[in-house]
Amino acid sequence: MSEEEQNPAAIPTPMSDVQGDGRWISMHNHFVSSSKDKEPEVVFIGDSNVQIMHQFEVWRELFSPLHALNFGGLSDGTQHVLWRLENGELDHVKPKIIVLWVGTYNQGHSAEQIAGGILAIIRCIHHRQPQAKVIVLALLPRGKNPNPLRNRNLQVNKLLEEALPALPSAFLLDADPGFVHSDGTISHHDMYDYLHLSRHGYTRVCPTLHRTLLQFLEATNTSPDQ
Amino acid sequence: MSQGDTNSAAVPHVAEDLHGDDRWLSQHNRFVLDCKDKEPDVLFVGDSLVQLMQQYEVWRELFSPLHALNFGIGGDTTRHVLWRLQNGELENIRPKVIVLWIGTNNHENSAEEVAGGVEAIIKLINTLQPQAKIIVMGLLPRGEKPNPLREKNARVNQIIRSWLPRLPGVQLLDVDNGFVHSDGAISRHDMFDFLHLTASGYAKVCRPLYELIMQLLEETPEEKQVTLA
Ligand SMILES: [Ca+2]
Repeated sequence: MSEEEQNPAAIPTPMSDVQGDGRWISMHNHFVSSSKDKEPEVVFIGDSNVQIMHQFEVWRELFSPLHALNFGGLSDGTQHVLWRLENGELDHVKPKIIVLWVGTYNQGHSAEQIAGGILAIIRCIHHRQPQAKVIVLALLPRGKNPNPLRNRNLQVNKLLEEALPALPSAFLLDADPGFVHSDGTISHHDMYDYLHLSRHGYTRVCPTLHRTLLQFLEATNTSPDQ
Repeated sequence: MSQGDTNSAAVPHVAEDLHGDDRWLSQHNRFVLDCKDKEPDVLFVGDSLVQLMQQYEVWRELFSPLHALNFGIGGDTTRHVLWRLQNGELENIRPKVIVLWIGTNNHENSAEEVAGGVEAIIKLINTLQPQAKIIVMGLLPRGEKPNPLREKNARVNQIIRSWLPRLPGVQLLDVDNGFVHSDGAISRHDMFDFLHLTASGYAKVCRPLYELIMQLLEETPEEKQVTLA
């Protein structure tokens, strides 16, 4: 058994329905069926930070015009996203770009495990969607004050920074505009609960992502093998 | 309520810092500070359904102009709200209306216990803010398809409704006007994750809420004007 197979963050795992209303699998099923009649150029995949982006004006403004689909889940960790991708969410689409934003919810996992989980997702995407470029969004800091999870997310980003250049189709984008102030705090104006972005917080992150998407789309449109 | 001792939903409880970033307490502390430098006429208290409302245009449109404060924290149960309200979130303010929306996260409790938890919160508000009228928002159905949590939430509403005659100054606002379609399904157009409301879901809920708040505010005598005169 390889190291990866022992990494819980890299083992495809359905989220257990602890609350009893089946919401996670309902959403997955919706993503699969909604992908059947759409031809997205861009697919966003990840946790609730991806999903909530879909709820705000910034999505309609910047990403809807790019024919983007949003497969943002609940408090998904890498292992949950991996399961979703291996169970249909990539079966009916052929996007040029996949935006991946996941890892801050990996409860009890080390930075190494989370980075390993993200790499496993990238490999899964590459296997199923070899034409797609993967833009991995760096994890954001969280918590009002400095705390171990901020350090962990930072460490995940460092590990990805080291690992991703070796992968031809995956790119790391750190879209953090500087959410941590000089006194070490994060403002609720940016993250309303010190984890999820406010409308305002999204308007600070999304233009950077949008510019990057446009660059990538332009590059794929002009490359001869497309 | 005599069984208050045994109902865990009615026992104040600090949320455990499960993830290790102390976000819950940071939010509570901010709310306590808000109380010190703001004078809200309307206070919203509850879980993520309250909290997320503030992120949408509807909040700026309908509730910001009323000098409303939003003390919603994602994942909260009745016992967390009880603890917060006992520990500073009702100090240094004198709201006329308090909107309470809580209970859908009480996964460890029966419908009876959840209702008991809501009642305990109402009693605490009556003690600390006797002038405030209380709007209890009915719990919404959840999950794409029929499931036990929908039944439980409906039962919580039913129990609270049956108690209203002995809860003066309390209104139950049932805002579930048509979230469940005839085939039993809830649409993602209303609840993006089959629990949390979209902008159009909030529009359905917030209109009747706004009207009720306005009605209660009009019924409330303007104390300041009286003293000025
Ligand atoms: Ca905001």
